[in-house]
Amino acid sequence: MADVIIRPVTELDIEAICKIDEVITGKYRPDAWEDRVMYYIRRDPDSSQVAEVGGKVVGFMLGEVRGGEFGLEEPTGWVEFFGVDPKAREKGVGRALIEALLARFKVKGAHVARTMVRTQDKDIDAFIRRNGFTPAPVAALEKRL
Amino acid sequence: MSDEIRMLPKAYHEAVEHWQRHNFPEYPELAKRWQQYFPKDAEFCLCARIEKGMPTNIQIGEKTGQPKANAPRELDKEAAEQLLMIIRAQASTEFGSIQQHHGTFERANDPQDQSWVLRVMAEELRHGYQMIHLLTSADWSSVTDTKPEDMVEEILNMQTGSHVLAAFNLEYDSFGDSIAFAAFIDRVGKYQLTMQKVNAYAPMAASMPPMLREEAFHLAAGVIPMRRWMEAAARDRNAAMDVPTIQKMIGKWFGRGLEMFGDERGGATNVKLGLKDMANREAQDLYIAECDKMLDDINTRFVRARLAHLSRDDGDAAYARIKKGETVEGLTRDDLLRLPDPRFFRRRGEPAFQMIGHDGEHFTDVELYIAHVLAHLPEAYRASIDVKHWIEMQRGVANRTIELKKAISSMPRLARVGGACPCSNSVRWVVDAPEGPSGGGERLNP
Repeated sequence: MADVIIRPVTELDIEAICKIDEVITGKYRPDAWEDRVMYYIRRDPDSSQVAEVGGKVVGFMLGEVRGGEFGLEEPTGWVEFFGVDPKAREKGVGRALIEALLARFKVKGAHVARTMVRTQDKDIDAFIRRNGFTPAPVAALEKRL
Repeated sequence: MSDEIRMLPKAYHEAVEHWQRHNFPEYPELAKRWQQYFPKDAEFCLCARIEKGMPTNIQIGEKTGQPKANAPRELDKEAAEQLLMIIRAQASTEFGSIQQHHGTFERANDPQDQSWVLRVMAEELRHGYQMIHLLTSADWSSVTDTKPEDMVEEILNMQTGSHVLAAFNLEYDSFGDSIAFAAFIDRVGKYQLTMQKVNAYAPMAASMPPMLREEAFHLAAGVIPMRRWMEAAARDRNAAMDVPTIQKMIGKWFGRGLEMFGDERGGATNVKLGLKDMANREAQDLYIAECDKMLDDINTRFVRARLAHLSRDDGDAAYARIKKGETVEGLTRDDLLRLPDPRFFRRRGEPAFQMIGHDGEHFTDVELYIAHVLAHLPEAYRASIDVKHWIEMQRGVANRTIELKKAISSMPRLARVGGACPCSNSVRWVVDAPEGPSGGGERLNP
């Protein structure tokens, strides 16, 4: 596999992100990804990252530093959206992405990173734990409406 | 790394605010819309931002490894002169683009697009403020006799038609130009700022990262609406913004963007002096490739919407075939966006006034060439003084009644003086004010 290049996301990555999402979910959702990528670009364009192999985007990880949510006052680096093309998995792309994202969170003043994983997403859960995340002393609660 | 915030001395700060009231009256609207369109984003600050933690040694050119300059007199005279020119030109573009956006701002047909452009305008104002900070926070007397207040005055006096670069002297025909401008012309801005991150003058280099972070939003504010126009055009054959209309906007702006890099054969001096890390042609080639990629993405959005029954892979394959010239389910290359030949409709640089068509065709008859160019430009723009002037120059160069060099340096209106404040209370933007360490240090709304 060619070298993986990690760089900040840009507006020209939207279509590639749509494609990775489509491969994973089976849905083409350009409006949703335009809104999401715009959100991260306008707030902190340096943090969210994409992975390129041979000039092609094969993975992305979007997140930002926020504070004051859920009573967690400290600046927190939130890992919010990510995806890696199934053909590019198991080659260190996800690890390279999360390392770059976490490094940027530190630069932005965060001393902790957090994320949430659905219990049925075992692969994601394993990936996140492999990268040093441990269960947090918070509980995710919900109520169906 | 984070930004250090600096305010201009009071007289200059107030001059910028005064300029804003006349040229950017929409500015107060930004505060009202902020929570709706940019909820929880850090508030806008009209201030200079200096990145901390930048390299302290020169990164490129003949003096690589030596300490960067912290004052103009620490630069070689040639480097300081060149840098001063760059800062003045950069300042002109920042204020110039606001004047352009202002012209059609109220004609926007989408409140989100309009609000994005409003934020873009405010951030351009901040970038202009940043350049004025560079001009007024240091002693430039080693390379110019012009006083700082007169340099600022000159910049604030410029109007659409009297700016340094041609792209900032074109009036917008519609709000659509705001979007095309953000996608194509702000992209050149991104290249210039990126190249200047290595600048041998430390305050200039440290000014670039905060500006680049804002520029990233400007590019998205151009590309995303264009993607959505194309999606609408694919679904609705009567879409207000159809493919030929967008294509003609590209015809209007692409060449001006290329010319912002400077002559294709130049730029080596800036690299040698440590002011930029790429010569003009190298940067321009990367820009062209990036614009090509942008249109691929936008076209993909169109193809996926028009041929919605196809899978992702089949849609990609269909686009690749169409791009090669095949017809797929009735779609041809002409139904999609494409970049004009980089030599098309050029007035500066290596291909200036060569009669090269939109798709690289060579013309020998100037009247046929003019007709060809006009057919590829927006109708409203064709009626402009800018196009009229180009026709005169193109004819003159072709008929050898005007020297190429003269045509290249000619602009339709050279009104670089006389643009003093229209306010009856003042004849200058910069007026004497009690000296203060800053513009008060206050943050403006929002």
